[in-house]
Amino acid sequence: MKWIPKFNSSNYLRVIFIIAIFILLFLSSIAYKHNRDVNEYSKLLMHTYEINIELERLMSAIKDAETGQRGFMITRNHRFLTPYLFSRDKVNTSFIALKKLTANNPIQKKNLEKIYTLIIQRYVSFENCLKYSDPDTYDKRKLDNHMFGGRILMENIRFKVDQMNDIEKTSLNKSLKKYDQEISFGPLFSISLFLAALAFILLAYRKISNDLERLTIYNKKLLISSGLMAESEAIGKFSTWQWDLQTDKIEYSDNQFRLLGFMPNAFVPNKDTFLSYVHPDDKEAISKSMDGIIKNKELPFIYYKIVLPNNQIRHFKSTGKLLVDKNGSNILLGINFDITDEHLLNIKLQEHNNELVKINKELASFNHVASHDLQEPLRKILTFISRISEADKAALSESGNEYITKVETSAKRMRVLIDDLLLFSRTNTTKKEFIQSDLNELFENVKSELAVIIDDKKADLNVGKLPSLNVIPYQIEQLFINLIGNSLKYSQTGIAPKIIVSSEEILSNEYPEIINQPFKKFHKITFTDNGMGFDPQFKDTIFVLFQRLHSKTDYPGTGIGLAICKKIVENHKGYITADSEPGKGSVFTVFLPV
Amino acid sequence: MKLFIKFDINTICTLFLKQKLEEQNLIFSTLGFGEIELEENLSSESLDALKNNLSPFGFEVVENQKSVLVQKIKDAIIELVYTDDNNNFKSSAYLADKLNHSYGYLSNVFSEVTYSSIENFIIIQKIERAKQLMIVNEMSLTEIAFLLNYSSVAHLSTQFKNTTGITPSAFLRIIKKRRENLK
Amino acid sequence: MQKNALHILLADDDEDDRLFFKDAFEEVKVQTKVEFVFDGLQLMEHLMNPDTKLPDILFLDLNMPKKTGKECLIEIKKTEHLKNLIIAIYSTSSSDEDIEDTFIEGANIYIKKPSDFNTLKKIINEVITLNWHYHTSGLNRDNFLLSIK
Repeated sequence: MKWIPKFNSSNYLRVIFIIAIFILLFLSSIAYKHNRDVNEYSKLLMHTYEINIELERLMSAIKDAETGQRGFMITRNHRFLTPYLFSRDKVNTSFIALKKLTANNPIQKKNLEKIYTLIIQRYVSFENCLKYSDPDTYDKRKLDNHMFGGRILMENIRFKVDQMNDIEKTSLNKSLKKYDQEISFGPLFSISLFLAALAFILLAYRKISNDLERLTIYNKKLLISSGLMAESEAIGKFSTWQWDLQTDKIEYSDNQFRLLGFMPNAFVPNKDTFLSYVHPDDKEAISKSMDGIIKNKELPFIYYKIVLPNNQIRHFKSTGKLLVDKNGSNILLGINFDITDEHLLNIKLQEHNNELVKINKELASFNHVASHDLQEPLRKILTFISRISEADKAALSESGNEYITKVETSAKRMRVLIDDLLLFSRTNTTKKEFIQSDLNELFENVKSELAVIIDDKKADLNVGKLPSLNVIPYQIEQLFINLIGNSLKYSQTGIAPKIIVSSEEILSNEYPEIINQPFKKFHKITFTDNGMGFDPQFKDTIFVLFQRLHSKTDYPGTGIGLAICKKIVENHKGYITADSEPGKGSVFTVFLPV
Repeated sequence: MKLFIKFDINTICTLFLKQKLEEQNLIFSTLGFGEIELEENLSSESLDALKNNLSPFGFEVVENQKSVLVQKIKDAIIELVYTDDNNNFKSSAYLADKLNHSYGYLSNVFSEVTYSSIENFIIIQKIERAKQLMIVNEMSLTEIAFLLNYSSVAHLSTQFKNTTGITPSAFLRIIKKRRENLK
Repeated sequence: MQKNALHILLADDDEDDRLFFKDAFEEVKVQTKVEFVFDGLQLMEHLMNPDTKLPDILFLDLNMPKKTGKECLIEIKKTEHLKNLIIAIYSTSSSDEDIEDTFIEGANIYIKKPSDFNTLKKIINEVITLNWHYHTSGLNRDNFLLSIK
């Protein structure tokens, strides 16, 4: 399942988001503090301003009283005294306000008390001035003193008021400076933090969109392949199922439903549903193998029958595997094949095969009867003929003797034919035991087998290095005997036979005769003689059973020898060819797979 | 477990004979190859007793003069075949020389008694030795042909085939399969 | 060459073959006593009988009714008191396979029934001679294999 892409970015994304959230939290806490400071500062500012105003109001009330007194003293009109009379109330109101405003500041409180004392002294001085300016009690010196004293008191009050204002201002400035210090590093830092957070979020976004793109692509691929899968399941008559062992949920592919004779998703499958469709004969085996699959993590191919709802019987083949993924969940995957068609075809094939085996057996037993059992009576005929003594022959007429000779000749010929036929059928029927054999060694046996003829004909037999091969030793010996025997038999009169046997390794594609053979490397063993040869037009027919190129009176033979050679070579998955020109000898080539 | 035991028939037979003769309290000296010289002449009863004593084990007291000679010829041939380095002798000359008779005479006596020829017997013995060398000593045909003084492996093979009817390789195969069968 | 007649037993169901066999032995120089059994069962009964004097050579046809020669061969080789019998297979078949099979099962000699009476005599002579050599000249009987086609 290599093709499933890995989407492991979720961890990566999580880290980015956590970092971004921390940055934002930090930023908002800074902003909150900043806000609170500004609020505090403005309150402080307001406070200072209010004190300032109230002090000014106090001052102006006193000044109003001063101005009114002066006006009254000059004009003696009581109307001018009104502000003076009201000023006391004004001073008191301002004073109460100021007292409230400075409640938290002991220094200002003290200053205010001093101002209060001064103001009371001032009002005392006002009273005195009024008293001494009154024509009734006029006293110029005392008036001047009090007037002057009032002036100094006024200045003291102003000084104190200014002092209070100054204190407020310095305290304002001080906290302003403090705020400034606190906030000054803020903007650049927070902007860069903000940018960083933004960058992280952008990065995350990019990643997400990337993944999304890939997911879309794979989704599409998955869609295509699942479509293909469904299609191929339908065409290939197979189906798949998954069984999640944790959740005990079983999922069938659409075709699984169809193979069981239902519409896709016709029912919700569970462990036992499938078993209910299995043919009663196979139920036990299937339920056993279902248990076995969990134990062995694998289900070897099982073959069983299924009964469809319409009682039709289908033949199934199934296999399965336990899949354990990284998260530890166990999923059983299975494939079911409907092999009914193959099964029926197999049955038919098996029937044909059985028939073939039967026919072959009949043929073999026919061969046995035809050759082996015929041997017995023939042997007896020959033996009985051999028992006719010279005395018996002398008692017979000349034609009787001749007939007996002819009977003997025919019987002997028949024996040769039967022997060869038996040999031919045996190359087919006997057990074919392949043994690794040195062909040179086998050739030594051949030489001793043919020793008499080789000596008789004074033949020169030149055998090169032959390979060691996995062969049926008897048959290869027989092959060599037949080929060498053939060369010896069809030698040219008056010329001693010369036979050269050589071998080399070749590739099949270099030889058109064997290019289509399933093996690539072959041993090419050639038998070259200087015999009488044959017309090349017969180079294929000489390997056919009972085909003879010469009359049996010239060269006795049955026409089976080369057919046996061909059979033997074919038994070894090899190939035999012959080539010749009349009077120039012939070449027999045997190809045997390496 | 399977053991291959190499043994020398001559030693065994000689030892066995000694034992049997000692059982009858006979004083003797061995002359080798089945020939025994007794100190005194035996009565016919004790000779019969000896014969009866030996015959269950395949020993036979050879009385006939010709049979004695045949036995000597056989012994000489076996000695010849089983001695490794003097196969270069011509066997006829060797036998005539060793037994002090003309080869023609030996040959006639041998055929008369055994219905087979000396040559045939020599071949049988050589092939027998070849079999032993193949099985016990696991020698190759080439080595055996050299040891038994054959002109070529082919010559040995041919003679083997002619004598036994089967090729040396078939022989070896059969013996090996027989042993597997016995396991 | 032997004081007692050579004791031969032939197991063959074919009457003609038994006749050829008997005639051939009569013409052989060696003094012999030839007995016959007609099938495998009879052969085994005969051999298992404690009163039977075991033959020097048993000639065994392979193709017999009731019990084949090969079955007899295997049984004989499994029987303690019979396993040292010299056994000559005497059969129509000349396939190398049959020959090798019976040799492996323990036969010593394989004779293809000849189709000529003189050849039969020659073969019998050869077998008797070689057998005699094996008996008298200290040859290893385990290695006694002779095939005559």
